[in-house]
Amino acid sequence: MHPTLESVFNDAESRYLNANELNIVGNYVESIPDRLDVYRILRDEEVNILQPVVDQLQQKFPASDAKRLERGIKNGILSLRACAMGMLLNDQGYVQERIQWIKQTQKNNGLEDIDAVFYPLLEQQLNKTLGNLKMKLLQETFQQVRSALLSDDSSSPSVSPSPSPVVPDPVDELNLESLF
Amino acid sequence: MISVADLLVDGRIPGNYFATDAYVHSDLELGLLENRRGDRLLAIPDTLIRAIYAGLEKETGQATRLVLFNCGRWWGKNFYARFGEELTDYYGCPLAEMPMSDFIQSLKQCWLTHGWGTFDLDQTYQHRGFLIVKVTHSPFASHSPNMSRPVCFLETGVFSSFFSQLAGREVNCIQISCESQGADSNRFLIGLPDRLQGVSEMVEAKVGHEEIMKKLCG
Repeated sequence: MHPTLESVFNDAESRYLNANELNIVGNYVESIPDRLDVYRILRDEEVNILQPVVDQLQQKFPASDAKRLERGIKNGILSLRACAMGMLLNDQGYVQERIQWIKQTQKNNGLEDIDAVFYPLLEQQLNKTLGNLKMKLLQETFQQVRSALLSDDSSSPSVSPSPSPVVPDPVDELNLESLF
Repeated sequence: MISVADLLVDGRIPGNYFATDAYVHSDLELGLLENRRGDRLLAIPDTLIRAIYAGLEKETGQATRLVLFNCGRWWGKNFYARFGEELTDYYGCPLAEMPMSDFIQSLKQCWLTHGWGTFDLDQTYQHRGFLIVKVTHSPFASHSPNMSRPVCFLETGVFSSFFSQLAGREVNCIQISCESQGADSNRFLIGLPDRLQGVSEMVEAKVGHEEIMKKLCG
């Protein structure tokens, strides 16, 4: 739930909502039909939105990168779904928790260069599909995801340790027997 | 050519299984906390952890650490089994086929969601056959009595058991730094028993974790 709404509901435990608080709730409720509309489009047109983006993406990366591309695309699908739900709930906190996971996956799999191409292409496609008015509703969560994933954030820890002169490549497959 | 439709198996893209708002459920009528699989969860207050330590100290004295370690071993074995099942069911692939980075990422999130602090895996010394698990904000470190030594016996047991299962061979775990002693995090050194010879003695002698790794790795 949007934190403002959540605090409104929590604070009103011992009293009725005042006029301002009721307005906040009312505004959200009034926006729900439009949000549902955008959500349905994103859900029903998911493949049609993403396939042109994927096609263009593949032109910019070699065929040998297919596995990494697939991983990047799946991560991108996850982030778009998180944006859609975050938009529907009007809850950036919902998106934030998912971004951290998606960002970690990006780091673990070295997908930064793929995402640098993917998200601008996706934004173009979303603008085309949704149009300006509907895109406005999605803009907040989409920019939240886009700026998190395209920022150079070295503060979030990765599975590998901080840079050190003799750090080998992280163990990839789940097989620690050979490690020990 | 990559087809988006083909990437969506049953329309699903697995994400963060242990996301807090998805993993923890409550049943207000029955007074139950459960995970998304229906296994029971329990919220325990800090006071209970302190009481457990105090009770064990009183009744078993120096054996406290062994009791807690063995509890951790048992817990770790079962934790590994459940964790593996949950991941296999959710991601639809056997654990052995799962990329290590995905496994560790899930483990980190699992640790966080359960309120056990933050978990990180340091692979700096993996080429020498050592892994270091780093846990911060451990509830066990913050509520143990002052023992002038590392005190996360439960977690030591959990990791020794968990990583033994994961590696398919017996590995030991020794805590080499502790938040209760002012360290920035709790570090648990994992390796084969014969490679960890002498580490316990270094810990007892209050040798720092960096010094311990220098002596082990040369």
